[in-house]
This record gives sequence, structure tokens and C-alpha cells, in this order.
Amino acid sequence: MYLKELTELSGVSGYEKRVREFIKDKIKDRVSHIEEDVLGNLIARKEGKTDKRIMLCAHMDEVGFIVSNIEDDGKLCIMPLGGIDPKVVVGKRVTVGEKEIPGVIGYKAIHLQRGDVYTPPKMDEIRVDIGVTKKSDAEGKVRIGDFVAFSVESMVHGDWFSGKALDNRGGCSILIDIINNNIELYYDTYFVFSVQEELGLRGAGISAEKINPDFSIVVETTTSGDNPEFSSYRRSTELGKGPAITFAHSGYVIDERLFKWIIDTAKEHNIPYQIKRRTAGGTDARRIATTLAGIPSAVISIPARYIHSPMSVLNLEDYNNTLRLISILLTKEVQL
Amino acid sequence: MKELIKKLTETNSPSGRESNIREVILKELDGYIDGYEVDRLGNLVVWKRGKTDKKILLDAHMDEIGVVASYIDDKGFIRIEPVGGVSPYNLMGGRILFLDVGIKGVIGVEGETNSDLQKNLKELNFDKVFVDIGARTKEEAERLVPVGTFGVYSAEFVDLGKRLVSKAMDDRIGCAVLIEAIKRSDPYHTLYGTFSVQEEMGLVGASVVAFDINPEMAIALDVTAWSDTPKGYKRMSIELGKGPCIKIKDSASISDRRVVDKLRNIAEANNIPYQIEILIFGGTNAAALQRTSAGIVSGTLSIPCRYVHSPCEMIDIDDAENAVKLLNALVEDSSI
Amino acid sequence: MLTDLLERLSSIDGPSGYERDVIECMRKEAGMIPGVFTEVDILGNFIVRKEGKGKKIALFAHADEIGFVLTRREEGNYWRFSTIGGIDPKAIISQRLKIYTRDGDIAWGIVGMIEPHLQTDEGREKVPSLDDLFLDVVEGGERVNTGDIGVFSSKPFSLSEKYFTGKALDNRASCATLLYTLELLNNFTSKSDLFFVFNIREEDGSPGAKTSAYRLKPDLSIVLDVTHGDISIPSMPKIETGKGPALGVGPVIDYGYLEKLKNLADKISVSYQLEPINGRSGTDTDLIQITRGGIPTLLLSLPLRYMHTPYEVVNIRDIEETARLLSYFLARGGE
Repeated sequence: MYLKELTELSGVSGYEKRVREFIKDKIKDRVSHIEEDVLGNLIARKEGKTDKRIMLCAHMDEVGFIVSNIEDDGKLCIMPLGGIDPKVVVGKRVTVGEKEIPGVIGYKAIHLQRGDVYTPPKMDEIRVDIGVTKKSDAEGKVRIGDFVAFSVESMVHGDWFSGKALDNRGGCSILIDIINNNIELYYDTYFVFSVQEELGLRGAGISAEKINPDFSIVVETTTSGDNPEFSSYRRSTELGKGPAITFAHSGYVIDERLFKWIIDTAKEHNIPYQIKRRTAGGTDARRIATTLAGIPSAVISIPARYIHSPMSVLNLEDYNNTLRLISILLTKEVQL
Repeated sequence: MKELIKKLTETNSPSGRESNIREVILKELDGYIDGYEVDRLGNLVVWKRGKTDKKILLDAHMDEIGVVASYIDDKGFIRIEPVGGVSPYNLMGGRILFLDVGIKGVIGVEGETNSDLQKNLKELNFDKVFVDIGARTKEEAERLVPVGTFGVYSAEFVDLGKRLVSKAMDDRIGCAVLIEAIKRSDPYHTLYGTFSVQEEMGLVGASVVAFDINPEMAIALDVTAWSDTPKGYKRMSIELGKGPCIKIKDSASISDRRVVDKLRNIAEANNIPYQIEILIFGGTNAAALQRTSAGIVSGTLSIPCRYVHSPCEMIDIDDAENAVKLLNALVEDSSI
Repeated sequence: MLTDLLERLSSIDGPSGYERDVIECMRKEAGMIPGVFTEVDILGNFIVRKEGKGKKIALFAHADEIGFVLTRREEGNYWRFSTIGGIDPKAIISQRLKIYTRDGDIAWGIVGMIEPHLQTDEGREKVPSLDDLFLDVVEGGERVNTGDIGVFSSKPFSLSEKYFTGKALDNRASCATLLYTLELLNNFTSKSDLFFVFNIREEDGSPGAKTSAYRLKPDLSIVLDVTHGDISIPSMPKIETGKGPALGVGPVIDYGYLEKLKNLADKISVSYQLEPINGRSGTDTDLIQITRGGIPTLLLSLPLRYMHTPYEVVNIRDIEETARLLSYFLARGGE
């Protein structure tokens, strides 16, 4: 499991290099083939018993920002890359650009906010402070177009894990574990670590087109909502109840046969699982499914709290059960 | 103790008019104290000597909230101003008893049209209410209730078994607890009991009462709010019957942690139930005691009370009994 | 090294009412300074005395910080909480809080934010209030209780060569300034009897400052706090980081001593800024001025960005210059 290392890396959508390099290093000696494509997707392959193909997909990118302007006082204007709620950005440490310059996102002190305390900030007013007082000092360190990633130390708390980018370093870690665990794969298995999922599922489709698998499983980290402000009927998943199996989400209904295959396998092997209840949000499955002549796809996710914020939480039991479930699925045949 | 509580709550003494209650308290303590003094603001200070000259100060405020007649109109209707934190909503449907004269009145609300009346009821303030004592002329009203006459809620004491209801539980229950604690204990250090005035007007009496005393520690005894009724305060955890509350903080002060630790240790050593209290609003005399001269180590022990500042405040007799037990143990303890 | 000192002071946790560890830290720091006496008074204020003949001058820097307290257990490991001091809910969202249990253990809690996909339209338009927020105690859930205290867990660091960031720089940056001033004073024989008070509970309405001033009865008191830096406030001059301390001017300030301070600053080339205060300053100054028979007061503030958030920012130079000005002023007996 590489959750701590993966989540601490900066890999904002469109700037996934550091994550890709890390993953490559961990798997290159365990796969028969590895390559990178034009957009930066990392594709690895391990042979199975048949030559039918399955594609496993986990996106490497996390939500973050891009430096859009440098003001005269040296502060950086930023725009979001991916869906970020402006309510989560205040008072956070960030890392900017190739030189990994540290910065903080501050905000007007509460004492100075008149009626505005409960008004969400607009991204236009958010600034990154890298500790300089004029533009020329900033220009020596950062540039317009640099990425801005949240900088958060991850922590293990017994069965719990907290940190940023659990969406979707959780999925990436699962894929690495599968590769390194040397399972007896039934199908020819392609492991795709995709890019730019948060910007509209942009990376996975081109890999799917190249690979043309018979079917795919997207491994994600998904929303929960299991907290005291949310009544049970509004929740999506609950932590501690096992991997979440999606039946439908934005833009795609999961292939029924795959769905049943997954549930039956979980039941047969006594792996706790849950059905993901809400259909808001989408995954690479939609893009993969609508590639070429159509590729039936499924989604299995690790439930997590507060995704798309710099501080998310997941349960390591759920992580392990997700890994177990997928590992077993990969040894079996499915009738499509 | 129920009889004592009944006697105290049925005495009528709003802030600034504490002579009635002071007399009642003094009579109760006759024979149990080594001396007393009434200071320049009317605070009643009593003491009971212990084996040492070190002093512990326990305070309860004698005053209750009320109203004062501010104007008599041409038809004999009386306008009132609040004395302490009386909300006009708490007057609705109830009766006011004007002191000394012993006249009772009922509350009316202005409303020249139906929609005016509805609006006034939604946004009620003291300008829109008046007291009707049934006078038929201005002269009759002026004779009975001259401007400047103080009044209190007219609401009798009700014994519901474990639960007692009355006006002025705030803070006559504190006074009752203090009286019982003084009566029942054999103090190790010298015990000072202060029954202070005008707490409801802004901790007036307590700001001066400890000036000449110089105690090692001061504890205010007051009521606190509650969260155990349907859709009660979601952020607080204070329940009737679960024990007296050791206060961590409220809006006016933070209890000295030494007082908190001491009270907690004594309670646990003596198997006395207690709760830990954080009050999201409100304040007690501890805030004023703490800031006396060069400072006094202070805290608060509270009695959970429902419907505070209404004519029907409710407490649990066990909480009061346990508070007395706790204070006894504290006062008889040699280590301070 | 000033940044090392700031890092140490910012890393200690001591919210109002729970300053014990901070006071211990101050004691250690002061222990390394020769020629001073130290004591902790009845409420817990830490006082360093540098004896000298002449006027009695007391300097104050509050040592407490903002914090959190657990108020009510919900289902699972969720808790409701309240704040100690005023904290913007926006600054609390998506933070990891460090919680001290009754037994002195550490627990960890996350103030979570529901992802955008699950928010309702009206939820999106509003920042949750403290009543809506909840704490997800991911470690130590079995060990925490109502009344346990928490703090931001942000780690302090040098943001650049000139700027430092971390929690509690309000008011540890001022504490650092006072300690540094004490060090500089070693080079002078002081013409005044000096008391450096690291007082508690400013965020709780200044009982610490008021009562220690009452006891010390100084001839002059100087309060060190922080003020909003690099932000435009209508009708106010813009107080900037890197331009030296902001000197308060207004009814809570003694005009005579202020003139002396300004003249001295000009003489030794310490840049300063003037900060008009219309009425009370919201610092310990207010209560100190009206203690006893009245005490002449001065207020020096370090410009600070993003007050009461987990990453406040100060300029190191401002600390150095303020300490330099103070050391000369004190050595000259407040002249």
C-alpha cells in the first residue's frame, strides 16, 4: 500500500508527472510492458491465461489550481483545475510549480468581515501568498501556468487514514498492489493510470481506444456523506461497510452483467460490500464505455469522506476489502 | 431542600431590589455562620471559620430578572422596561406581580390591524407590549403602581416530584445549594458565602464582592442551559438529572482549569455524578470574580435548568442535592 | 535564530485558559537569559523581571492562542465543537485538529466538508456555521470527552527569506519580540525597572493583563500585539508588513510617551507606521489603561496577514526592528 507516499505527491490535473514517475518506479519490474502516451497516461500490461483483455483504470490526477496571474504585490491569482468548492481553500498550505515553492492561501481576518462571514469566497478573490512583496520577486520563483497543489501531510490513525488526494490515489495504490501481488490473472490485464479525469474524464478514453479491451473496471475513491448533518437517506456510501459497487452514475448505467458478476463474487467470498446509493458525479467509466464500439464497464470504489477537499478520510479495512475483491475478480471469467 | 427552594423562589427580588431575599437568606443561615456583612452595594457576605485562615469563596446571585414600570398612559395602562434579560416573548400569556404594592397585571400587545398584530407578535419588543392591571383611570393606576415600581413574573412553585418548576430558579437554586452547603459542611479552610446583587444587570455585585476577601479560589453557583428537549441545542450536551455541571467555558469566561480539575477529582473521589459543560452563550459571576484586583482563580458549578429566563424554569432536585454534596466535599477537603 | 524561536513558539499548543505548556516554554526561553528573575502569578501569567533603577515599565504580550473545545458527542466518532476566540468557519473547514484528552493523550479530528456533488443548491451558497460543522475524530475517538481542547495542527515554516508562517503567530510573534528584546537589553544597563509579562487569556477578555497590571502598578505599560497587515480597510492607512511596527494612536494611548517613542525611532532609524484607534483597540491595552488609578499605555503591533487562520504570516524584519526600538526605549527609561 502506497497511500501515504502517493497522497503526499503533487499531481494536479494536467501536471501528473511526479505521481507517474513514482508509480512507474514501483511497477516497472513487475509488468511485461509499460508505456506513456501523449497526454501522460501510464499504461502497464500483465499477461493472463486468455487473450481477452480487461482494462483496469485509476486516475492519477487530483483537484488543484493553476497560476493564472501574478499581481503587483507578488500574490498569485489562481483558477481551479477540477471541481473545488471555494469553501475548502482558506487557511491551507500549497506547493507551486516545478520548483515546488511553498505558499499559503490566506484570507481576510474574521474581525474585518462585516456581514460576509457566511458568504462563500469567490475564486477570484483567493490569493496564494509565497512570501514576497512585489511581482518581480515572485517572477523569480513561479510563473503563470504553474500548478498549485495542496500540501498536506498524510496520517495513519489505526484503521483510518487522513490526507489529501484520496480521490484517486486510493485507486492508484490498489492497482500498484495488484501488480505487485502477482495474482494469477485470467485475462490479459491492462493497468491504466490515467490523467485529467477531474477535468472531464479526458485521459482514460484515449488509452481505452489504444487498448480496445473487452471490458473495464474503473477503480475509484468515492463520496460518502456519512456524517451527522446528512440523514441516512441522503448518504451515498458509508465508511467501514466495504467497497462500494456502482449501479449507475452521471452519463452511464453500469453493465448489468458486470454488476452482477461483482456482487456474486463478493457474496461468494464473504467480502463485505455496499451498493453506492447516489448517482451524482461521474467516472472514467463513462468515457471508456463510449469509446470505439463500446466497452462494457464497471466501477468499484473505496468510500471516502470529504473528497475534493485537502483533508479526506478513508477506512483501511475498506481499502483492504476493495483490494481483495478486485484481486479475486481478476482471477475469474465473466460471461459477456 | 424542596421547602427551602420553594421559599427562596417565591420571594420576589429583582435586580436592584434584593432586600427581601437578603432577609430570607439571613434568617435561614441564622445559627450556622460565624458572621456576616452587607457591603455597600447590598451584597450579603457570610462566613464560617475553618481550621485555617485560607479562604474559599462560593457565590450565588440573589437577584432575579424582572421589569420596572416606566410610564402610565392616559387610560391607566402601564409600560415596562426589562430588568435583566427578560424577553418580551416570555411575558406572553403570563402575569406580572408588582412589588411592595402586590398588584398583578396581565400583558397586552399593540395591534391596530390584524396584520399589524401578527407583525408585532413576530417581531416583539418592549415598545409593543403593556401591562394591564385592570385600572379604570390613569390616577388609579398611578396610585397603585407608580413609575419606578419593580415587578417580577407571577408564577408559583410547582413540585413535579424529581423536577421542580418555578420562576427565579436562576439563581435561587444556586442560593439554596449555597445555603445547604454552608449549613451542612464543617469547612477545613474558612468558607465565605457571597449572595451577590444585580448579576442579571451585568455581574455588578460580583465585581466588588471579593475585593476585600482575597480567597484562594472562587466558585460561582448558577444555572446553565439545557439540550435535552426535542430538537434542543445541537451543539451542547447538558441534561437534567445527570449531575451538576462543571463549567469549562461560556461566553463571558473560561474556568480556570485548576478549578475544573479540582471539582472533577472531588466528584470522582466521592462518587458524585457530574457533567462537563460548555455553554455556547451566557455568563456567570465567575467572569467578574476572576478579574478582581490582582486576580482570583475562579470557575463555575452549574445546575442544569430548562427554559431559563422564563416564568417556568425547571431543575432536577438530584442535581441540586449532588451539587451540595460536591461542595461539601470540596469545602471539607484540606488540599487547595 | 529568530526563525527557530518562532518555530518553537508557534509549535507549542496553548489556547486561552490552557496556556500551561506555553508558559513552560517561555520559562525555558527566559532561563537562557542572564540577569533576570522569573515568576508565575496566581492566574498563570509568566513574568520576567529585569531589575533597574528608575521608572517601572511593564511590557505585555499575550501568550494564548485561539482554539477549540469539544461540546457534544454525536453518532460514531463525530463531535460538535465550539471555539475559544473568534474563528472564521471558512478557516476551520478541511482542517485537521489536534485534540488533547483529559489524560494528556493526543487525538486527531478532521473538520470535514461535504463534497460539491452532494451539496444542495442552498448549501452551496452558504458557509456552514459552527452549528453545522462537525469534527470527525479519526484517532482517539474512544478517549475524548466533552470539554477536551483542540488546536490547529498546521506546522510553522519559513515562507520565504523574509516571511514566516504558522499558527498562533497572534500572538507568539510578539512573545518572540519580547524575548528578543530581553536579549538585546543585555547590551545595555537599563534605566528602568522592567517587567516582561507573558499574559494569559487575552482571547477571553484580558483578565490576565488586567490583574497582572493591577498587581505590578507600573508607571508605563507597553502592550505588544498584532494587527491586520497588507489589507485595505476603508478610511484606514494600509499597515504593511516589512515597514516596521504599527504604533497605536488614539484615546487608549498616552500621547506623551508616543511622541518620545516616535522621536527615538526617527533617531535610530527604525521605520514605523501609525495606526489610528477610534476607541478601544481590542487588545490588552484597553483594560490595562483603566486599571487602578489609570496607567499610561502604549500599543505596538506587528503587521500580520490572515489573522486567526492556521497559516498567519509575519515579516521577520518587523520583529527585529520592533525589538531594536523597544530595547533602546527601555534602556533610556522610556524617554
